[in-house]
Amino acid sequence: MKRLLIALFCILSLPVFAQEHGSAAAEGAKTEEFRPGDMILHHIGDSHEWHWFSTDNDHFTTYLPVIAFRPGKGVSVFSSRNLAEGKVYDGLKLEHEKLEAEDGGKVYDFSITKNVASLMLSAAILLLVFTAVARGYAKRGTGAPRGIQSFFEPLIVFIRDEVAKKSIGPKYERYMPYLLTVFFFIWFNNLLGLLPGAANLTGNIAVTLTMAVITLLVTLFSSNKNYWHHIFATPGVPKALLPIMIPVEVIGIFVKPFSLMVRLFANITAGHIVILSFISLIFIFKSVAVSPVSIAFGLFINMLELLVAILQAYIFTLLTAMYIGGAVEEHHDADYQMGGGDGADNAHAAH
Amino acid sequence: MPTPTPAPRKPTEADSSSDRLRSFARYSGIGIQMLATIGLSTWAGYWLDGHFQTKTPWFTVALMLLGLFAALYNVIRSVTKDQ
Repeated sequence: MKRLLIALFCILSLPVFAQEHGSAAAEGAKTEEFRPGDMILHHIGDSHEWHWFSTDNDHFTTYLPVIAFRPGKGVSVFSSRNLAEGKVYDGLKLEHEKLEAEDGGKVYDFSITKNVASLMLSAAILLLVFTAVARGYAKRGTGAPRGIQSFFEPLIVFIRDEVAKKSIGPKYERYMPYLLTVFFFIWFNNLLGLLPGAANLTGNIAVTLTMAVITLLVTLFSSNKNYWHHIFATPGVPKALLPIMIPVEVIGIFVKPFSLMVRLFANITAGHIVILSFISLIFIFKSVAVSPVSIAFGLFINMLELLVAILQAYIFTLLTAMYIGGAVEEHHDADYQMGGGDGADNAHAAH
Repeated sequence: MPTPTPAPRKPTEADSSSDRLRSFARYSGIGIQMLATIGLSTWAGYWLDGHFQTKTPWFTVALMLLGLFAALYNVIRSVTKDQ
């Protein structure tokens, strides 16, 4: 246990050294002056190349492919090395990580950016892990799980019993694949984002937007007539008030996924910003004496982020399940559905 | 001296801790939803005022109040639903 903790300590303080020393050196070489805001935004943002770290003499960067489509000119594919440090290639240049045409024309950027590459990597990891888990079930059936399967079984059962069954009710089975995918996708990507030099995928609002939109679509397509009845003719509301109540309810449909999107994005991005800010203190004060304090705090927040990683995945999954549950519930379950447990089960059994 | 937990109690304890986590997630969700409702509707009003070049920001005022009402209504409804 002790050895494990020490190993964890080493791994977790690694990003602190690897990222910050590197970026500070890179920053210093360019502008002389250390600007923490720019450094932090650079770290949490997307980019066309994958910058691992820099030493005083060299940058260690993986250049990713740029795929640009321009109406009239067609598709151009080339390495982002050609655009490094503000160079112009094929009439294209990078303006603050935004791909622009020299002549001011329209450019559609389909590049494999750092986040896209990270997404592909995590998809590959998820596929590898869960095909292994699925193989375990195919081979051993309902027998005792082994290896990686035994690590994931409690989590899968937790999502099924505590999240899906309690929130959705008897029709939970259809939504299990989506809920499990969302949970493990967010969790894995949150953890990957904490690794040194990794991309901040779940802290990218486009990624969380996509997941929120999928949740919205799943909710809308699985909704029954009770759901719409509650929105357009809320029971117990006088007819005269309906012109006010309908917009209020309609706002509710869109605000739910919107809050999912913002929460995940804000939590993950805020965590990264806090860690980077603590580390920046060293370079702001230009003193080694600050480093024990800022690394200790950075490490503390990093440990906290390990918890936040799974907590946010759980919250996203749970709220998705609740929104779906609200859309598929039968009329009589209205009083029971959120609390779940015995009352809900009896209610489902009775009707 | 701590005595080992009797076997039948275990499920209830697990239930209550998972229920606590569940309520935490749920109520934090309601809070963010409230914030998002007010924020989104105010932003929509602000955008409409800019779009129609209104002299007095009526859209902002109206949509902000509507958002406030919607947020409160949704909070009250979602906390009374399961009681």
